[in-house]
Amino acid sequence: MKDKIFIRVFACVLALCLAFTIAHAAYAVYAYEHCSIIQFIAKELW
Amino acid sequence: MKSKKLIFQISALALTLIIFFAFNVSMYFMLTRKLSNNFSTATQSKMIDVSLYLPHEKGSDLAKINSSLHLSENLPVLDGAAALVPVYASVIENVYPKGSVTYEGGAFSDDNFYGENFAEDSKMQYKNTVRGYKAIVDGETDILFCAAPSEEQKKYAEEQGVELVYVPIGLEAFVFFVNSNNPVENLTAEQIRGIYAGEYRNWKELGGADRIINPVTRLSGSGSQSAMDSFMKGTPFGRKSLLAIMGASIGFSFRYYMDGIVGSDSVKMLSLNGVYPSAENIQNGTYPITVKFYAIYRADNENENIPVLIDWLLSPEGQELIEKTGYVKIEP
Repeated sequence: MKDKIFIRVFACVLALCLAFTIAHAAYAVYAYEHCSIIQFIAKELW
Repeated sequence: MKSKKLIFQISALALTLIIFFAFNVSMYFMLTRKLSNNFSTATQSKMIDVSLYLPHEKGSDLAKINSSLHLSENLPVLDGAAALVPVYASVIENVYPKGSVTYEGGAFSDDNFYGENFAEDSKMQYKNTVRGYKAIVDGETDILFCAAPSEEQKKYAEEQGVELVYVPIGLEAFVFFVNSNNPVENLTAEQIRGIYAGEYRNWKELGGADRIINPVTRLSGSGSQSAMDSFMKGTPFGRKSLLAIMGASIGFSFRYYMDGIVGSDSVKMLSLNGVYPSAENIQNGTYPITVKFYAIYRADNENENIPVLIDWLLSPEGQELIEKTGYVKIEP
């Protein structure tokens, strides 16, 4: 793979991963504010 | 040379994907999977499944008594907190005529926003505590069944120039709960205040496992958060670390809501100062935090059936109904 192409592909992959992670984190913050605390505690991993 | 470069490029891409994948999977298992949103259709039952408490419907799980009071006109609109739906729905079941609860479109549905499709002219509504207090002040509801109001709710009534009358009609226990795998079974009131004040940060300090404590709070203005504010007796809530969200939590609620409405085998109520919050211990006064719940109405509401209904709720028949719904009666 030519360097130029690799950089473009890498940038696209990185951007997609970052976008997904930011969306996931934003959803988690929103859902934490509104979730049922009984379910939150019931689903804890022990 | 070319193949080495290609291997490096593929490795770099793969590593990037693996790092993000691992991060998101970890976040999902440690946090996201625990976050059930109360406002989505699928999780409404976490607050209450109102379909089980519809008056005059076959199969409803409502208390029935031999009531001597039967209202036929000027029926007060009843509304309330999620935990008290069984109480005021049972009042309608026993005292109101059939047809007093109506639904938009003619049949009950809970798949719209926030749940239920009670029609505007229905004598039963369900707005829960925060919206319910606003509704009683704004004159949309005649009697609200709720725990004591928060300071904000009192202030809102004052700002609107509305005087509310609070009539205690029953008792309930304020309880603390943890995951059922948490080995801790009992805490003192001081220890719980210490947890929420940030003095205790690890369960190990309280005889439990070596896990960070996550003291969970609730929506400001909700009935249980107002009760918790009162329980703290002026002790300020501490700031918790970001890592606490991954720790082992402690939460609070009302006993009947925990035990009778939501019910989950994966959580357990804690004994407080060595006393478990059973119905017997609430009734005999040994459980240390019992709270009153109220029938609330506007002092300037001229519906003549409001005092009739309130008197009935305080009568032996009304108190029998309170007991039959699983709460504790207020009069000995």
